[in-house]
Amino acid sequence: MRLFPQILELGIKKNISIQFNSFPVSATNGIRLYYVMEGKFEWSIHSYQYVLFPGDVALILPGHSFGSPEGVLEIGSFTWIHINVQQLEGGEIILGKWSSLSESESQAIGKLLSLNNSPALFNFGDAGKILKCIQTELFSQEIGYHTRVNHQVDELFIQVTRQLTRQNNPGRDFPKTFMNLEQALRQNLSHQWTVEEMAALVGLGTTLFNERVKNYSGFSPINYLINIRITEAIKLLKRPDISLTDIALDTGFYSSQHFSTTFKKLTGYTPSEFRKNHLRNN
Amino acid sequence: MKCIISIELGTNAVRVFAFDLNGQVIGSLKGYCPTFHAEPDYSEQDPEQIFITMLYVLKNLLNEKIHPKKYKVASICFSSSMHSVLAIDKSGNPLGNAITWADNRANKETQELKASSSAKSIYTATGTPLHPMSPLLKIAWIKNRDKDRFRLTSKFLSIKSYIIQQLTGEYLIDYSIASATGLLNIHKIHWEPAALRYAGISEKMLPELTPVFASAGKLKKAFQNSLGLSDDTKIIVGSSDGCMAILGDGVKGDGKATITIEDSGAVRVMGDKVLQDEKRRFFNYLLTENCYVSGGPTNNGGVIFEWFTQQFGEFKNPFDIEQSMQELISVASKVPVGSDGLLFIPYLLGERAPIWNANARGAYFGLNIKHEKIHFVRATIEGIIYEIYSIGKILEEHRNIKSLSVNGSFGTIPFCTQMIADMFNKPVRLRQNFHSVSFGSFLLSAIEMGIYKSLDEAVQKVELPDQYKPQKQNHSVYENYFRIFERLSTGLVDEFESIAALQHKDAALKKIQAQENNNMYYQ
Repeated sequence: MRLFPQILELGIKKNISIQFNSFPVSATNGIRLYYVMEGKFEWSIHSYQYVLFPGDVALILPGHSFGSPEGVLEIGSFTWIHINVQQLEGGEIILGKWSSLSESESQAIGKLLSLNNSPALFNFGDAGKILKCIQTELFSQEIGYHTRVNHQVDELFIQVTRQLTRQNNPGRDFPKTFMNLEQALRQNLSHQWTVEEMAALVGLGTTLFNERVKNYSGFSPINYLINIRITEAIKLLKRPDISLTDIALDTGFYSSQHFSTTFKKLTGYTPSEFRKNHLRNN
Repeated sequence: MKCIISIELGTNAVRVFAFDLNGQVIGSLKGYCPTFHAEPDYSEQDPEQIFITMLYVLKNLLNEKIHPKKYKVASICFSSSMHSVLAIDKSGNPLGNAITWADNRANKETQELKASSSAKSIYTATGTPLHPMSPLLKIAWIKNRDKDRFRLTSKFLSIKSYIIQQLTGEYLIDYSIASATGLLNIHKIHWEPAALRYAGISEKMLPELTPVFASAGKLKKAFQNSLGLSDDTKIIVGSSDGCMAILGDGVKGDGKATITIEDSGAVRVMGDKVLQDEKRRFFNYLLTENCYVSGGPTNNGGVIFEWFTQQFGEFKNPFDIEQSMQELISVASKVPVGSDGLLFIPYLLGERAPIWNANARGAYFGLNIKHEKIHFVRATIEGIIYEIYSIGKILEEHRNIKSLSVNGSFGTIPFCTQMIADMFNKPVRLRQNFHSVSFGSFLLSAIEMGIYKSLDEAVQKVELPDQYKPQKQNHSVYENYFRIFERLSTGLVDEFESIAALQHKDAALKKIQAQENNNMYYQ
């Protein structure tokens, strides 16, 4: 499919008898998405087992394994798409030039997909509709189908991201949701987080997200992030073996200058003064 | 114009208030600080994050409300939650996170000490119930099970001691926080040798004991500069949140008690004598010399209603728990007192006072075919308040209580306050939108500055204008159901133990299965 370099494979399967020695576990470089239409499938995704029913989706990231753990294909039908994406060293996923998503949105979606650890999306009928639409467009090739298919693939990424953040944050337990966010921030402290990414991570729009975070924590999202950055920097400053520049970059500051100014503003000390005071007795 | 600042180091947030010298609030801000649970029994906070959050919130409040109006900060007074333990090395740097009051890792040490011959004398001398919350038992746990950390430790601090040391360089612990460590002889105000022996430490490994009014020394120059404070700003060591809450309500002496219901809760009295209880059900903490704050704590306060709301609330707006709770409360107010015979036992988190049973669990009892969803809502709130009432009842075996004050975010919901008045059959006083812990800190500073001559004078000046009167007919309905509540809470010891054991077993099995599953596919 030279017109659609992003689509590696598109398929639909109706299986009317149990097939042994088929559908083995394998890993590929693209993103794979399987939508169950009929039946019940027990699949292994990235070493965990999930049971999927009609309307459910298996979302497999690049390099993750997927298949039937016993090598058995159960009775039922499903449809799938494999999409070509790039993956950076840190695991971030980048959509290609074919995508018409803005750069920041594309980045945010890639980040959220790479952070997601629940690959089964339940009751996600919208994904089925999008796959059906892509198939119809490709089959009939009506005027404008090229653009529509590209748009539908973008749409699929948007809906998948929204679905997984909603599923992970059912909108009831903000303390828990905030803890998940806080954990994600700490684990990726060197990443230049935007408010859009943080909001999307917990499944909220930015307006509501800002309000909820401020109300719950007393901080704006960015200020909360800066607080975590300085907290972690303090711990690193007490260790003699890491340079100030490394500390600055590891904790997400643009430069050692930016680190130094922010640190002094809050604590009254420059990072090197602080380090001197706390290593003195060693 | 002078002003007084209070800083409360809590397990959810750092709260900073500014008061003028008349006790009027000039402004307040809070900053969230997470509690981490690396294991189910663990409950920890990052001391550096608390410090940074405290600086951030304090600085913002000063820049927004204090400096622009040319207030001069006369003093900064601290309070904090009790029972925290933070080990530091010989350079003064933390060895891991601070362990908070809610941490239960020292369960085994607790059972052992409780069964030993020194249990009674240690409790009587120190006033702190033998429970995993107690720093005495947490330090014993570190000694027994985290030997590397124990070996490297030069001092065991409380969170507040660490924060104050960062600001001024002094290692101090006030009488109140010290009296909640299980290590202090509260009658003679010195470290209790038997307790120190049990914990395996010497006095030198603890901060210096000081009265709550003591000054902690000068702010370091860097902080004077970054915060814009002068070098004569007094840093007052202050007390614990529990002692501050009752002080802030002005409740001292005969006939009075305070009920606090936040996530957890407590019923407290303050007087010049400790409560001697044969069954060891109370804490006796020290505010100042000859002034004891005594009572019983519950795990299951507002946090239980939050749990209920998360499960059964409407959540028309995502994450808007306040609105969902309000809706449920308005539903509950339409159900008759006593919930038509549906009773709720709220021990979802195990329970401390009065039953002191970590295995206790929750239950709805008395369910019949006519009960609807709305009955569960009211029964849940009633169950939380019955539990508070059961603590009040055992306090009344020792003290004659005629009136109550209520504080805390859950207790001051008008529906709950009225329920407290009815259940206790006593008048309840409070001030809406009033933060008792911070006001207690204000009073402490004001006494220190000489605005009040004594603690007693300060306490007498506290006015709580809003009053809830008990309704007799409601009281008798509650009283009848409470008899059954009491029997359920004390009569199910074996059943609680069996179900808790099964739950622990299942949880352990699940954990092993998850690990095996993981290993299998990585092989």
